[in-house]
Amino acid sequence: MDKLLFFVDRVSAWVGKAFAWCILIMTFGVSYEVFVRYVLSSPTDWAFDLSYMMYGTLFMMAGAYTLSRDGHVRGDVLYRLWPKRLQASIELVLYFLFFFPGVSALIYAGIDYAGESWSYREVSIFSPAGFPIYQFKTIMPIAAFFLFLQGIAQVIRCIICIRTGDWPARLHDVEEMETALVHQAEREREREMQQASMLGGEEK
Amino acid sequence: MTDPQIAIFMLGAFILIILLGFPICFTLVAMGVGFGYYAYYDPERMHSIFDNRIFDLLVNQTYSVMANDVLTAVPLFLFMGYIVERANIVDRLFFSLQIAARRLPGSMAVAAMATCALFATATGIIGAVVTLMGLLAFPAMLRARYDTSFAAGVICAGGCLGILIPPSIMLIVYAATAGISVVKLYAGAMIPGFMLAGLYMVYVVGRATLNPKLAPKPSEEQVKDMTRGRVTVMLLTSFFPLATLILSVLGAILFGLATPSEAAAVGALGGLLLAILYRALTWERLKESVYLTARTSAMVCWLFVGSWTFASVFSYLGGHDLIEEFVLGLQLSPVMFLILAQIIIFLLGWPLEWSEIIIIFVPIFLPMLPHFNVDPLFFGILVALNLQTSFLTPPMAMAAYYLKGVAPPHVQLIEIFKGVMPFLSMVLIAMVLLYNFPGLAHWFPDYLYGK
Repeated sequence: MDKLLFFVDRVSAWVGKAFAWCILIMTFGVSYEVFVRYVLSSPTDWAFDLSYMMYGTLFMMAGAYTLSRDGHVRGDVLYRLWPKRLQASIELVLYFLFFFPGVSALIYAGIDYAGESWSYREVSIFSPAGFPIYQFKTIMPIAAFFLFLQGIAQVIRCIICIRTGDWPARLHDVEEMETALVHQAEREREREMQQASMLGGEEK
Repeated sequence: MTDPQIAIFMLGAFILIILLGFPICFTLVAMGVGFGYYAYYDPERMHSIFDNRIFDLLVNQTYSVMANDVLTAVPLFLFMGYIVERANIVDRLFFSLQIAARRLPGSMAVAAMATCALFATATGIIGAVVTLMGLLAFPAMLRARYDTSFAAGVICAGGCLGILIPPSIMLIVYAATAGISVVKLYAGAMIPGFMLAGLYMVYVVGRATLNPKLAPKPSEEQVKDMTRGRVTVMLLTSFFPLATLILSVLGAILFGLATPSEAAAVGALGGLLLAILYRALTWERLKESVYLTARTSAMVCWLFVGSWTFASVFSYLGGHDLIEEFVLGLQLSPVMFLILAQIIIFLLGWPLEWSEIIIIFVPIFLPMLPHFNVDPLFFGILVALNLQTSFLTPPMAMAAYYLKGVAPPHVQLIEIFKGVMPFLSMVLIAMVLLYNFPGLAHWFPDYLYGK
């Protein structure tokens, strides 16, 4: 089970990180548009479509990755006070009640939606260039599929926690700066405490 | 049960389920689909269990989040923030401002407040500002024998200014929720934002003048006297580049030269250039910024996917009408309504984060605004002021916890809270001022764009 858990975590992280680079394409693409519009006064006909497609793809495909890092907001005022086994048991039930039905609906309806768009090769209404958007709509069921997969990993997490009484470790990854700095400060404090107690021991 | 009653049940159940701690965006999607299946159930059309219009609604709402041209600015501003956060800029900024302000009373606190305000404005991320300044300015102030509470209050309050002063990400999210123009909202938030920063500054200088023990003057050795030229050079290399970046992003938006997303993209590019100039851009940091941008964008935007699905089912069932009827039945005056709304939002700020409040709960108030003749722009700025407090008031004062996390061990949480209190009263004063003089929010957008 551990193997499956880490495999899915890795897949989600890989997909999320790969599509995260859309932000660079977006930054350069839109900046280029601003440049050619003001300096060369010849705006592009693709920058607008590029910007929302990159944005939509970026956040949809990062959904599963964010879930694997526990990055989706939760109201955890009470949750964090509970013993870990209780957290895991409730979460396990909620995954079946609230996660899989919604995400499955998104996969099912998304396939229909994208299929229809493919069937007549839908193009963007915003640009004269007639940018295709069926590939963009296909992102929806694909992102939902990866979420479903990550949901299975989350269920495994809960089961492991119910069995062992502790949440399994997560793969190492970047943390928000505040989290990283707080952890660093904690570690330094511990080290100082250890040194102090060692010194104290020598004196005795 | 009638449909509107079911809608209220849906909202009630949702609030209970939030308390169980499950990721909120998925709860919203699932409840939207579940209740929507009931709402749109039509036996005539049922050829299979999937023949229900809720599925069309779900994909349409999801797609309108994916192709939303306001929210495109969110990942770009986040990216700019994460890059600037990693550009080794805070220490230069604080050091040079501290020298520049050395003749003022409470010079270090003034410098810390200015650094916080500028840096928070550029990054829009609260935790990072508070922890970075907590490691840099806070120990420096303690070494200069500043009062612990006073120093802590400065850093916590200053770090939260980024959610009010444009280009704030929270205001973009509010604009997308309320369907108003980001540009006007930014223009409207300028004066209240600077007013709050100004009130903070007045408090810092005033307190330090009245009670010099709180913020002793640094001795001659601690601050080497520098020539005016040296100070100017230091400011030119630290304060001005970042200030120019922010002002050009803002200027481009306010004067209509670029849309918010375009300005955000140029801002992100500018942030990258700044990081390169400061020799702080490494492959590792770029990767970190890119990945964190993806995660935070996913957090915010999936919340929109859930919320828009949930909200359309809720109002289809007649939930909004019922709430509206109820509130109108209370015969509130507009002032009472505004105060009530702000109190509710303030209370929600204890257990919830700004993203949930703006995306899920603010929409419940929005349809009622016309009845009370309240401008959604004005309401948004009041909310943004109000949410400053949600990071600062116990029990869920994130800013205070971040500072406690990095502060020296002898600093007590209670000392931090004590230091934050005066700044909370400044927020309250700012809200009362805005309330009595709505022109503070309206004048600038009206001046720029006409009525």
